[in-house]
Amino acid sequence: MLRVENLHKAFDEFKAVNGAYLSVEKGQLVAVIGPNGAGKTTLFNLICGQLQPDTGRILLNDEDIAKLPPHIICRRGVARSFQIANIFPRLSVFRNVQVSILSQQNLSNKLFRPAERLVVEETKRILESVGLLGKEMDVAGSLSHGDKRILEIAIALGNKPDLLILDEPTAGMSPDETATTMALIQRLATEQGLTILFCEHDMEVVFGTAQSIMVMQQGQTIIQAEPEAVRQNSEVQQAYLGDA
Amino acid sequence: MEGGQAATLAALSSALLVGLSRAMILFIVTSGLSFVLGVLRVPNVAHGSLYMIGAFVAYSICTFFGGGSIGFWLALIIAPLVVALVSLVAERSLFCHLYQREHLMLLLFTFALMLILGDLTKIVWGADYRSIMPPAVLQGSVSIFGSPFPKYNLFLLVIGPLVAIGLWLFSTKTKIGKIARAAAVDMEMVGAIGINVSWVFAFAFVLGCLLAGLGGALVAPTISVTIGMDHNIIIEAFLIVTIGGLGNMWGALVGSLIFGITQSFGVLLLPQFAIVFPYLAVVIVLTLKPTGMLKSVW
Amino acid sequence: MFSEMFRQKGFGISIGIFVILLFAPSFLSRFYIYFLAVIFVTALLAMSLNLCVGHGMLFQFHHGAFYGVGAYTAGLLLAKTAVPWWMAFMAGPLAAAFAGLLIGMFCIRLNRLYFGMLQISLGSLLWAIAFRWYSLTGGDDGIHGIPIPDFIASTTGSYYFVLIILAICLILLYLILKSPFGSTLQAIRDNPERCAAVGIHVRRHQLKAIVIATFFGGVAGVLFVVVEGSIFPDLLFWVLSLEVFIMCLLGGWFTFAGPILGAAIIVSLRIFVGSIHNIGPLENVGEYWTLILGIILILLIFFLPEGIMGYNYRKLFHSRSKYATESGTE
Repeated sequence: MLRVENLHKAFDEFKAVNGAYLSVEKGQLVAVIGPNGAGKTTLFNLICGQLQPDTGRILLNDEDIAKLPPHIICRRGVARSFQIANIFPRLSVFRNVQVSILSQQNLSNKLFRPAERLVVEETKRILESVGLLGKEMDVAGSLSHGDKRILEIAIALGNKPDLLILDEPTAGMSPDETATTMALIQRLATEQGLTILFCEHDMEVVFGTAQSIMVMQQGQTIIQAEPEAVRQNSEVQQAYLGDA
Repeated sequence: MEGGQAATLAALSSALLVGLSRAMILFIVTSGLSFVLGVLRVPNVAHGSLYMIGAFVAYSICTFFGGGSIGFWLALIIAPLVVALVSLVAERSLFCHLYQREHLMLLLFTFALMLILGDLTKIVWGADYRSIMPPAVLQGSVSIFGSPFPKYNLFLLVIGPLVAIGLWLFSTKTKIGKIARAAAVDMEMVGAIGINVSWVFAFAFVLGCLLAGLGGALVAPTISVTIGMDHNIIIEAFLIVTIGGLGNMWGALVGSLIFGITQSFGVLLLPQFAIVFPYLAVVIVLTLKPTGMLKSVW
Repeated sequence: MFSEMFRQKGFGISIGIFVILLFAPSFLSRFYIYFLAVIFVTALLAMSLNLCVGHGMLFQFHHGAFYGVGAYTAGLLLAKTAVPWWMAFMAGPLAAAFAGLLIGMFCIRLNRLYFGMLQISLGSLLWAIAFRWYSLTGGDDGIHGIPIPDFIASTTGSYYFVLIILAICLILLYLILKSPFGSTLQAIRDNPERCAAVGIHVRRHQLKAIVIATFFGGVAGVLFVVVEGSIFPDLLFWVLSLEVFIMCLLGGWFTFAGPILGAAIIVSLRIFVGSIHNIGPLENVGEYWTLILGIILILLIFFLPEGIMGYNYRKLFHSRSKYATESGTE
């Protein structure tokens, strides 16, 4: 479904992404791991259009999306969440999710119908599936950190994506919250048939859930394989796991 | 050469030179604006007011010394300093308290400053037109291609590049200049290595305003000094900075040249609506390169 | 569609105020009727600006240019052609919206701060043209004695016309803000990057908001012509735009009706200040209105950045701050 080939992105002298390869099959749960500064977030930014690569290809269903702007890529069926909670702080939780549903259903431009009454069912359904249903009238800025991260995912879900890209979804969460969130992600994958690509720090989390793991270091892909193969790989052990 | 051809050549060369000398003033003023823009990330709307104050202070100094040459040269030194002082007072007393707030607040402050300085100027100097004479050595004109060209404008054509070179040397060779340039690219890093960011801002702001004051003092002998100068120049400066590339000093030069020359050719072709020509140039530039001709600093 | 509006708390108050205003001419002198009409026109102008500024965070620093375009289009058509009055009245907002589209297309490609800068400059071109094209626009003098249809030419007649148009426009603006378009605009205001990531074409949406706002600005311009019967280049002058901006800030730019309050205060203040004479060395305090405006702005920046209504809203609903502060109605 998604294939990244030999991606390069440099900021002046600094090579953030220096030869990245990734392959995501439909229905898979794929994880990208790597130490801080490995280029994971930059890679996601390149895939989703926030940045444009210097060279390389990004193929979404065989279409090269490397030069497309974010909103067009979203229309192709990709939704993402951000590493730093990127919600709409002044709006209510309900409206946060509603905005993305309205966008997906092409209703954003309707001028004379009350927004309160539109797509209420869908919004509530998504809020329920992520466990935020009791809090829909709260101001998003006042949520706890963990809830904000979940709201991030909920907003992405509003786009009814085929491919869901999550940038460090459990960053800053307690072990309990992490477990709940990972369970949620797995549930989404199985129940809604979503293809999910995410990146993470926490090794336990990744090895427990992902079907395919891509390891990045200093902007390069070291390997992508099933969890066991990755765990056995000597390069990975040396670079990442060994010193952990 | 035929008479008609000679006349056309004279007119064209005159327009070109006038445009260039005007561009020099524009460059001096907009380089200050660009500098502040680059470091503080805020367009100083009051920049035009400081330019106007520079012109008025120059007028006062000149008349104080009886309108002679000494007065002018003194004014050229003192007026920018006075303007720098005014801007320092504004910055240290009010502006600096806003550095932690969002950019819109900084921008609105410069609006307020413009409104206040504009009326203060009116209170101090009144609403009449003032004028000053250039110093004796620069009075009169020389003949270039058969057309009279004011000596003072020649002087401007020399001063402009001098200021440009001076600024370039300053920002690349001196410690302060390098810090300011680094701050323009990455403010947090500059703060992280122990430099007081607030003083960097203050310095950038005052230097920018000093350049505005210098521009005002230099332009004073060529136009009528009056209130309303601030609006005219800031509108032009905004356009120049936008087409030149945001925060880029060389962009300010390019933009000033485009603006000055199209304006003077506009005067030649369509005197009543000469103002349209630079705008046309702006529209063309922005259509082709929406973010300006040169790379923006950020 | 209207039922949401009826259920709002502020709606009852608004109806009450509207009824009082309907009967006001019967117990007010001509001057005060005129004064209220001026407030209405300015209030509409401020409300139209706030669609961009408060709800869209677009730095529309020269909104007055579109006000002027609306006024000049209608005024010139009425004064110099035989076009029927209702056509001239409709041409105003349409011309303003068109100008808004053109200028907006250039400005929208730059980031926020430069958007404002460029708009100031491009809008000032319109002022310069109006100022210089003496034969068409009357230059600095403007045009006076524009023929207004009889039934709205009198002070009271114009008052009612302006009041009714204002009410209609306010209802329209309210509906727009509560619609998906408005909701999305506010989301763009808060986080444009996120909006792009959910599939919204941010620039296009903003441009549409600008066109709507400038349309209503043009309506305000036409109303100006109805009330004053003349047009002058000052309408297109940049400082007027700043004044309107300050009205929005003063009243409360994240609220629905804040700009109306701001407009009322600033207009009243301006007329009051203009009537003061002989304070100390200053003969005519009204001449230094921009100084006072500047001081007001500084006070706002330092002490009341969310405006009067913004501050009250927060104070009154502090205990309920956990709940969503929608752009409420007052």
